[in-house]
Amino acid sequence: MRASPWQQYAVLVKQGLRAELVDKERIVSPILFALTLLLLFAFALGDLDDALRLKVYLAETMLTALFALQVSFSRLFEPDRQDRVFDLLRTYPLSHTSLFLAKYTLVSLLGSATLIPTLLFGAFLNQSPKLQLFSWTVVGIALLALAGLGALGVLLSALTLKANARQILYPLLYFPLTTPVLLAAIQSSRLCLEAGGLTPDVNSWLGLLVAFDCIYITLGILLFTELVDES
Amino acid sequence: MLVISNLSFQFRHRRLFEGLSITAAPGDLIHISGPNGVGKSTFLAVVAGLLAPASGEIAYLVDGAKATDRRTYLEYLPAEANGLYLKMDAVENLLFWTRLRGLKLDPNAAFAALDPWNLNHPLLRVGFPVEKFSTGMKRRLALARLELSPVPGWLLDEPLYGLDQQALSVFQNRLRAHLQRGGFALLVSHDLEPFRGLITQTIDLAKRSAP
Amino acid sequence: MKAETMFTPEDRRDFLLGTFFQLLVIAHWCVAFFYAPVDIHQGAVYRIMFLHVPSAFAAFASSLALCVLSIVALRKRQENIMALAKGTAEVGLLFTILTLATGSIWGRPTWGTWWTWDARLTTTFLLALMYAGYLLLYGSLAPGPGRTRVCAVLGILIFADVPIIYKSVTWWRTLHQPPSMIRQGGSTMDPEILGTLVAGIVVMCLYAAWLIRVRGRNLILADEVESASFQTFDRQ
Repeated sequence: MRASPWQQYAVLVKQGLRAELVDKERIVSPILFALTLLLLFAFALGDLDDALRLKVYLAETMLTALFALQVSFSRLFEPDRQDRVFDLLRTYPLSHTSLFLAKYTLVSLLGSATLIPTLLFGAFLNQSPKLQLFSWTVVGIALLALAGLGALGVLLSALTLKANARQILYPLLYFPLTTPVLLAAIQSSRLCLEAGGLTPDVNSWLGLLVAFDCIYITLGILLFTELVDES
Repeated sequence: MLVISNLSFQFRHRRLFEGLSITAAPGDLIHISGPNGVGKSTFLAVVAGLLAPASGEIAYLVDGAKATDRRTYLEYLPAEANGLYLKMDAVENLLFWTRLRGLKLDPNAAFAALDPWNLNHPLLRVGFPVEKFSTGMKRRLALARLELSPVPGWLLDEPLYGLDQQALSVFQNRLRAHLQRGGFALLVSHDLEPFRGLITQTIDLAKRSAP
Repeated sequence: MKAETMFTPEDRRDFLLGTFFQLLVIAHWCVAFFYAPVDIHQGAVYRIMFLHVPSAFAAFASSLALCVLSIVALRKRQENIMALAKGTAEVGLLFTILTLATGSIWGRPTWGTWWTWDARLTTTFLLALMYAGYLLLYGSLAPGPGRTRVCAVLGILIFADVPIIYKSVTWWRTLHQPPSMIRQGGSTMDPEILGTLVAGIVVMCLYAAWLIRVRGRNLILADEVESASFQTFDRQ
């Protein structure tokens, strides 16, 4: 008897979500971390005039989101590391693509749960009477960025699964690899907020984000199996 | 039928065992013996597919034809871990692993599976995270999962670890029933008394290891 | 065992090849100093380009080599290829650092500052960080087929990221402010300078390839020594 890849995917996603919900700390801590960081940014930067405020809002919020996502990505496999669950998963007749997609779905959901509050709070803390900061387009751009970051996040989590210095290695690998996403997300949202719409400049940045997403989702599906299968 | 032919394993430069050939037919309980460090647990991990052998072949034959993935027919129980989600309760753990095998199981069937292992208490089975279980309780839950799995091959690495006298006799009976149903098992255990009369074959790894 | 029997013909060939490439590098420097004419805008300072640009080429070519070796390692499942891949990352790191150092030294007289967020320099900087991350990951994993796989995957990820980083950093700079650097555009370059530069790139890449090969063989040798020590241990 063997479950189809789709059944396996559904079972793994459900289990992943349950494992997150049963341990609320795992969902709450990245958001709290983001809030703390936004507060620190506000303290470090002090009072700003409105022209700078827009730039600073995007810079600090996106950076905070990137940091908070790193926290949540790097702990993706923690429930599976306990009691050798991950090894046992490897002894089951699993489709590796199902496992990757299940983890990717999980990371996208958890990432959105971190990303959207971060953007909201960033806009809230930087608001001024004359400035409209929060925009759904920016949320859309951030989610587009998350699509690629999530795939990379799953891969890196699997890469560092057996490494000794996981806590420090993860950010060291994650941040240099994700610089294009940070640049593209900040620049495109800034241009978008300044122009009030999708100009050609914005579109070329979004193209870069889409390229990043495509490359890393493809690489994720192709390479994840190499990280799981030993025999 | 599990056919292991000419299997060798090398841990980096250290050769653990060489030229190991074992055939496990329905009803077989094969005891893997040898002193500490000879590679008994490693051997089971290789058969389970966790480690790649240096050479040789492991095949599961269905009606004489080689199965595409032998993992469909094998269930592995490691020595020092049980493969349980520690933050989740007993029933959730059972349902997850059996559903991953494609088995549609309802909670009542899970309760029934917990019953012989003395875990079918309303306060224990649901809403009580497994991490609060004692060592023996976790082991019993892992054995309940093993039994629910619709597979003929059990790879047991020190299955008795942490079991009390009562659980031990339950395990004896369940193992006997599994073998009578046409299942088979590879066993690593330091205590052989409970398996007296069930073991059909003993493989001494010390004789198959590198000089 | 006598000392000379420790050298295999392969060692001798590597040594001769290495000496030859070293001489080529020195010869190229002579050409760069005495043959290439002085630049009208920058004076003699520009000659650092003949070290800077070839190093950058070697650094980025190493990332390509790392990717190719990683793919081969995943397909062939050979530990020896992994040794070469690690050597590639080390040599890549060496050349990225050399590129950054020479770029910085060159930047001081021409741009008036030690560092600027020039697209190429920034990409090199990130590449250096990624090589360092690769080597750290390699070091923190237990040797064996698992490490080969993990590092090979990272090697591919790094190479896939380089063009995206370069593109993003270039746009980031050009959309912000015009590039501050006087570009050595291909069409405006003297044929003598261009020739010297191209020769430098070829020489440096050859030298880097030799370094990778020697380093890879070193690592394989270290592995063989360990293996031999295990065999002695087993025989006891």
